[in-house]
Amino acid sequence: MSRSAVTDSRPQSQQVKGSGSLLRWRLTRLIGPSVLLGPAGLWLLLLLVVPVLLILRISLVPGLRPEQAITNYGLDNYLQILQPTYLRVLLRSVTFASGTTALCLVVGFPVAYWLALIAPKRWRNLLLVVFILPLWTSSLLRTYAWITLLRTSGVINLVLSSLGLPEQNLMNTTGAVLVGMTYSFLPYMVLILYASLEKLDLRLLEAAADLGASPNVAFWKVTVPQTLPGIAAGGLLVFVTSLGDFVVPTLLGGPSSMTISRLIYNQFLGVSRNWGFGSALSIVLISAVSIAIALLLKYGDRNPDGFS
Amino acid sequence: MFQTASSTHAPAQEQAISDVELRQVSKIFDGEVAVRGVDLSIRPGEFFSILGPSGCGKTTTLRLISGFEVPSAGDVLIQGQNVKRTPAYRRPVNTVFQSYALFNHMTVWDNVAFGLKIQGCNRQHLQKRVKEALQRVKMETFAQRYPTQLSGGQQQRVALARALVNRPAVMLLDEPLGALDLKLRKQMQIELSTLHRALGITFVLVTHDQEEALSLSNRIAVMRDGYIEQIGSPSEIYERPNTAFVANFIGDTNLLSGQVEALGESMRVKTASGLQISVDSNQMQLPNRYQATSVSVRPEKIHLSSQRRPGVDNCFEGRVKHMMYLGTHVHCVVELTTGDCLTVLQSNQPQHRPDAQMPVYVSWSAEDCRALAA
Amino acid sequence: MPRRSSFRPNSSRRLFLQGSAAAIAGVALSNCRGGVSDVQSGSQAADSSSPTSSGSGTLNIYTWADYTDDELIQQFTDATGIEVSVDVYDSNETMLAKLQAGGGDTYSVIYPSDYMVTQMVELGLLTKLDQSQLSGLETMQEKWKNPVYDENNTHSVPFVWGTTGLIYNSAALSEAPEDWDYLWNNKDKLSRRITLLEDVRETLGAVLKSLGYSYNSTDPAELEAAYQKLLELKPALASFKSFGWQDELLGGDVLVSMVYSVEGVPVSQEDTDFKYVIPSSGSSVWTDTMVIPAAAPNAEAAYQWINFNLQPEVAASMAERLYLASPNEAVLDLLPEAILSDPSLFPSEELLARCEGIAPLGEVSALYDEYWTKVTSA
Repeated sequence: MSRSAVTDSRPQSQQVKGSGSLLRWRLTRLIGPSVLLGPAGLWLLLLLVVPVLLILRISLVPGLRPEQAITNYGLDNYLQILQPTYLRVLLRSVTFASGTTALCLVVGFPVAYWLALIAPKRWRNLLLVVFILPLWTSSLLRTYAWITLLRTSGVINLVLSSLGLPEQNLMNTTGAVLVGMTYSFLPYMVLILYASLEKLDLRLLEAAADLGASPNVAFWKVTVPQTLPGIAAGGLLVFVTSLGDFVVPTLLGGPSSMTISRLIYNQFLGVSRNWGFGSALSIVLISAVSIAIALLLKYGDRNPDGFS
Repeated sequence: MFQTASSTHAPAQEQAISDVELRQVSKIFDGEVAVRGVDLSIRPGEFFSILGPSGCGKTTTLRLISGFEVPSAGDVLIQGQNVKRTPAYRRPVNTVFQSYALFNHMTVWDNVAFGLKIQGCNRQHLQKRVKEALQRVKMETFAQRYPTQLSGGQQQRVALARALVNRPAVMLLDEPLGALDLKLRKQMQIELSTLHRALGITFVLVTHDQEEALSLSNRIAVMRDGYIEQIGSPSEIYERPNTAFVANFIGDTNLLSGQVEALGESMRVKTASGLQISVDSNQMQLPNRYQATSVSVRPEKIHLSSQRRPGVDNCFEGRVKHMMYLGTHVHCVVELTTGDCLTVLQSNQPQHRPDAQMPVYVSWSAEDCRALAA
Repeated sequence: MPRRSSFRPNSSRRLFLQGSAAAIAGVALSNCRGGVSDVQSGSQAADSSSPTSSGSGTLNIYTWADYTDDELIQQFTDATGIEVSVDVYDSNETMLAKLQAGGGDTYSVIYPSDYMVTQMVELGLLTKLDQSQLSGLETMQEKWKNPVYDENNTHSVPFVWGTTGLIYNSAALSEAPEDWDYLWNNKDKLSRRITLLEDVRETLGAVLKSLGYSYNSTDPAELEAAYQKLLELKPALASFKSFGWQDELLGGDVLVSMVYSVEGVPVSQEDTDFKYVIPSSGSSVWTDTMVIPAAAPNAEAAYQWINFNLQPEVAASMAERLYLASPNEAVLDLLPEAILSDPSLFPSEELLARCEGIAPLGEVSALYDEYWTKVTSA
């Protein structure tokens, strides 16, 4: 075998000599793009692909603890996720995240619309900064502030009772979690929608009006479809980040507030230190988010050339 | 099909009232006056152009008609109805925008169907009309494309179809051909003209291209600084401009400033440089002696000769300073002995082609020049 | 098992919220900012210097928030010429994960809790201490001379200790809680006015204790029984919270909270309406220690730091400041009588005997986690 390899290599090397310039040209063509894409590619490889592959590997080791050596592989960790307890956790996480996304959209769109299209131009940047300002404080502080507002003896109930209205049980509920998460992620939604609405071609609204569309019709037929990429991007960002949040559910939620991110945290940093199961949960989360992004890229943009 | 459009507006036509009327309309933006007391009356079925340099208020005037701007003063009437307080979406007009403003999230078909869908047109009828409109602009094969997949000219056709499918009382065209290259523009001008004849509805075109306005319009309004300087047919505007601005803006002209010297049969204007120019009384806008004036002479009306031409009203000596060969024409700049420079356009006849630095005589008749308010 | 939050709000905020029910969120925000940003800036400073400064003069410490402060570090630097940089963690497990993920050669001194010491010794992560280089251990109380978690203090030096218990609003409760069973007996009255720790070992441990079992039970049947008993209490729970319970307790919305003494006692010190009690059937008692990781750089400086902290004056001022008990007799001698006689800090020998340290569980820990997930996701 080694002999044949030697004999094989000879004509090859001759051929290489003979067509040196062609080879060099081929090499340049091959290496050229990779030199250009190299840094970004390396970055992605080291910071995204390699870690995910490592997590994937760990997720295939049943109940792996960090100090254990990897001895056998299996799907046990994934099968464990299918237990009702964990499916409930997944369902709750998705409910929290989609509720937050919907609320952010409902509250954020009018705000972004006002900022981008109605507010006086010279105040726009200032208003935007004011609106984004909460992002500069820790999300934990903002959540603490909500405790002050929502608790039974809190500000909201104080206002209610001073108006003669009955006291509401707001704290430690799913509603409180949704309010807190919406508040946390609203600035992201507003920023993205603002960017999208600011680019909105107002002449299209004039065109719609010209064709007989009342402002209401023009909004649904032109403004919303035109800002659909922004709505999708903002929705995805809020959905993904709220799926990863466990501070708000822990602080504002009731005794049944386990979310997938908290569960993952518990597997890595909690009592059981079950890195195998934690990795499997992470892979499920990463896959779900990746699929959502892929769907957005594929179907979120119906126009093949992209919106200009 | 589209004839029904004009038939629905037939009563208006029969009463011979104007399709669009502006009465003393002004528009002020943040203290800047864009339109000053404009009076306009556009007849049914007319191809009317608003022509002027950028910033003259022509687009604002169009937007006052379409309803995108509310007049600061005055009234806007469409088919006899005062629409001053009517929002754009309730006005019986459709616009073809300079930027086309196509909905890029919809196919060509959906763009064209947009207006009809809003009107609640039934499906069958809608399909028929959209198809017809697309055929009219030769875009039926592109129905399922998105606007971003079309060239500028194709987008222009779609924009036209999207407006005309609604059979508006008035079609408003805001520099619709501005973004097209010269050849395509010429072609589209012909198509616009054909469309106008076929549809029989009123077209209001805003343009800064005088040639476009001259070739397409029944009447033209020339605007400057928010005023209308002159309204008239293309030949009126060109042949009998009211002001130096109009004379200069519509085509090329030579303007010689001076004073009215004599009135009556042989009207004469004397320039500061000492030229004595005879002007036909029909062409004299100024009834008073000693009034400052500008005499406008079109380059193509000036005759070049090597000898003084006897019996011609105006004949002056000079010499060719520059000469440009333009193929069908020769373009010369002649410096008169008085120091005035005149541009002359002569048809290209090889035997009469003047040479640079050659002493020449320029001449034109009294009917071929016009004395205008300075 | 997150034990003490690094986001612990400072006392000024607590008093403020207590005093004005109509506290505006914005003011509350600015008020609590100090406490949190202190911690953050501390860790940031440490982050920026820790990876590179493991060399000659700098000592890298990985500890609980508040266990060191600028003044203490300054004193140490003045005395020894060694610069100190500090990273903080909020749970033993976080610390362990960081060490196992390759941070072992960064830090010279770490402050694991008792059961974590055992675990780290088993994992071979700790240096066997050179006793000849340590001073001040002679005055250690008998109990801490040979603790269960680390025989003869071979790998660790006991630093401070505390308990887990209940803090309650004595003005609002007619009957004071004395034992864990109080919660079950009054669950209707206290509906949605109880918080328990969001800490599986503590909360399940307390339920096990209330059933007469060990805090560290490894018997699946006992665990199942504890799980069922916890479910019974669940309708009465406002939530599971390890931090952030203060607002609701001080506002009167929550009447009883299960807390760590290090966080509960300061609240009771500031407002006497709130009392911290160690349940009579026993609770957990925890010891935080100082250790030197096996791969620690600059071990000599680490010994200097440990000895510095063992000085009675230094340890006493720390105990007083943080409301922590000291295992060192020489330190106790320096503490005022008021603190020494406080049963929430220094419970009776008899009660202390019924308390247990949290012990490593081995394989059973997975069962704990499973029950915990069941409880919190039902």
